[in-house]
Amino acid sequence: MGKIGLFYSFNSKKTAKIAGIIHNAFSGIDVQLVNVDEVNKDHFLEFDNFIFGVPTWFDGELPNYWDELLPALEEIDFSHKKVAVFGLGDQKGYPENFCDAIGIMVLFFEERGATITGNYPLEGYTFEGSKAVRDGQFLGLPLDQENQARLTSGRIERWVEVLKKEFN
Amino acid sequence: MKVLHDMPVDKIFTIKNTDKVMLEKWLYLMTIGRIIDEKAPNYLKQAIGWSYHAPYAGHDGIQLAIGQIFDKEHDHLFPYYRDMLTNISAGLTAEEIILNGISKAADVTSGGRHMSNHIGKPEWNIHNVSSATGNHTLHAVGVARAIKYYKGNGVAISSQGESSVSEGYVYEAINGASTEKLPVIFVFQDNGYGISVPKKDQTATRKVANNFAGFKNLRIIHCNGKDVFDSINAMTEAKKWSLENQMPCIVQANCIRIHSHSNSDRHDLYRNDAELGYVLDSDPLLKFKRMILRYDRLTKEEVHAIEERAKEEVKAAHKSAMASPDPDPASIYDFVIPDPYPALKYPEGVHNFNGEKKKLIEGINETLKAEFRLNPDTFIWGQDMANKEKGGIFNVSKGLQQEFGPSRVFNGPIAEDFITGTANGMSRYNQKIRIVVEGAEFADYFWPAMEQYVEMTHEYWRTNGKFSPNVTIRLASGGYIGGGLYHSQSTEGTLATFPGIRIVYPSFADDAAGLLRTSIRSMGPTLFLEPKALYNSPVAATPIPDDFEVPFGKARIRRAGTDLSLITYGNTTHLSLKVAERLALEGLNIEVIDIRSLIPLDKEAILKSVKKTGRVLVVHEDKVFGGFGGELASIIGEEAFEYLDAPVRRVGSAFTPVGFSRILEAAILINEQKIYEAARELLKY
Repeated sequence: MGKIGLFYSFNSKKTAKIAGIIHNAFSGIDVQLVNVDEVNKDHFLEFDNFIFGVPTWFDGELPNYWDELLPALEEIDFSHKKVAVFGLGDQKGYPENFCDAIGIMVLFFEERGATITGNYPLEGYTFEGSKAVRDGQFLGLPLDQENQARLTSGRIERWVEVLKKEFN
Repeated sequence: MKVLHDMPVDKIFTIKNTDKVMLEKWLYLMTIGRIIDEKAPNYLKQAIGWSYHAPYAGHDGIQLAIGQIFDKEHDHLFPYYRDMLTNISAGLTAEEIILNGISKAADVTSGGRHMSNHIGKPEWNIHNVSSATGNHTLHAVGVARAIKYYKGNGVAISSQGESSVSEGYVYEAINGASTEKLPVIFVFQDNGYGISVPKKDQTATRKVANNFAGFKNLRIIHCNGKDVFDSINAMTEAKKWSLENQMPCIVQANCIRIHSHSNSDRHDLYRNDAELGYVLDSDPLLKFKRMILRYDRLTKEEVHAIEERAKEEVKAAHKSAMASPDPDPASIYDFVIPDPYPALKYPEGVHNFNGEKKKLIEGINETLKAEFRLNPDTFIWGQDMANKEKGGIFNVSKGLQQEFGPSRVFNGPIAEDFITGTANGMSRYNQKIRIVVEGAEFADYFWPAMEQYVEMTHEYWRTNGKFSPNVTIRLASGGYIGGGLYHSQSTEGTLATFPGIRIVYPSFADDAAGLLRTSIRSMGPTLFLEPKALYNSPVAATPIPDDFEVPFGKARIRRAGTDLSLITYGNTTHLSLKVAERLALEGLNIEVIDIRSLIPLDKEAILKSVKKTGRVLVVHEDKVFGGFGGELASIIGEEAFEYLDAPVRRVGSAFTPVGFSRILEAAILINEQKIYEAARELLKY
């Protein structure tokens, strides 16, 4: 298996906590933790497999730390690399844009050749719209700590099992 | 139906490809704006002024973008009270912003007349808008109608907060822009709150623009209003698309409100620490600076130099503005309403023409046609205005569309506020334009347009004489047709309480024609009330000279007398004349004064008559209580008391709605017998 990097903001609270759970779920497999707040484009060249932690801010936006970073990655060729995205959202408070940030991230890396992995079924979620949905499934793992925190660990376990098989 | 709201937006401007000079300019403008935004509350603390300040911090991206795409040669911009950076970005100087904030005479928006933070520059087509938030959407639609008609190659840009989209007139505006396919960009700056009211209490959809997704001919673009590049790209695309397609576009910009709504609000009462923290973390100006530095577009030293230059400009602007003179209290009566067309052909508004008699409806219809033939920049619209042989609810405008075409004569939707508000808006395009609207099917239905009526009366004064809506509002008024509560109302008692509009109410065909001609040719708004019961009445028919014109503020002595003055207008002119004839048979000589014009009022003619007769009966169709007669009676009491031999009396309708049953209507509306009895009482003195 190639090198795996788990990218998220170390300054975040909920996302960092989830990243820790995901990291643990990969027990026995080397997953490096990378702080998005301090990263530059060279860090992305080091990995073959990526897990990105991307909460949705406001009514469907990337957090600043991702939004400000993406222009630096525009020229990188992600062909032959696999990308999986997880994100936190709020189905009740923001049902029209549930985990939009997952969809925005996926689109960006797809356009640069990445293979997206870690799709997740819609069952169990209730919302109205999301950029993270395509062809009847989520493009990554949506987590809702506001309304479905008790389901989070199960969802992570299921998702990580898929990633273990999918990553090169 | 083609779905327009999911179309992609080109990323023309990015942090990496935007010209360095442009980035420097943007940073400079944003810094100037933020310095003033943060400094404004200090003026209030020091009791200098700026008592209303709605800080824009958190809206920086979209406001910079609106100003940057605005072209004052072709576009029209309607910024709202939080749009300080929009104005700066559009070209206003720091000094102009401060002059507005501290209400100085040199304030380009209004000379200190309008509230602080309501910034504009009418001579640049940056319009001075109301505090009735969002009502300028109708003005934007109106001026876009003119842009399209005159092929102006521009757009109207209306900006507002997302909460004000809840106002019904905003829906009317967007519906109208969609129906007429007009080049308007409606910008919704969404910061999540209407003062303290969260979005969830405004509408069920978090992104209120999506409420309009079912409207045809309307594109919707969402952008991050906190992000300069996303906002510039969205506004650039919106303008390009609106111009190319001649259709409206909504841009909903997701913003944050870093501070309270205004200096009278305390947001810590309803926002928790976590929220206050994350909005600070999302400060758009800080983000822009981080991006500039991160991508090596400017050095720290260059950023610092720009910030220092901005500080110096604001410092100099402050010093200059503080030394600028205050408004002169003696100027309060300047620019209440423009001088009217002088109507010099018939200076007293009377004639000796002896041609064929024409009905009142013919007088209005033929005058409209004559004025439309004379002036190609005339327009008329209203409900039931134009469909084959139908021309107005009473066919007053019959034949106009056939002769002048559907671009100048057209139907309005059943939306009185829209009809009135777009007239205000369209007349902004140039001062040659003259607009006539049938404000409602009947005057009784004009009430939804009240807020636009009030706007109409404010414009000339509020802009310190820079803009007057040149509009004649026609309303079929009054009762005596068995019409009940909503086809019988007299509205002038209420509508005459607003300074800034002329009000006329003719009772004969010739006066209707002459006053309408003068109204259409004048600058400023005129409310033209038509006694619909007299449209086809032979008693109101008169000969009408083709060129007849009646000056405003000229009463007409319809019957001369010496024993009693009946002061009246509209339907009751005819009732008064009948009473005078009846009393003449009893040997009494009654004078009947038809004031014709309520505002301005011919006080001279009224007082002259009172001095001659010593007895006055004020007669009108409206209710006595709260009717315009109260003003007439008090003027006479104050200015002619010593000439009176009897108390001033008023007669009018009962203080009830007008009943539908003919029996009830007769009991409520003023009639000949009641006038006769009141006159007889006065003649006893």
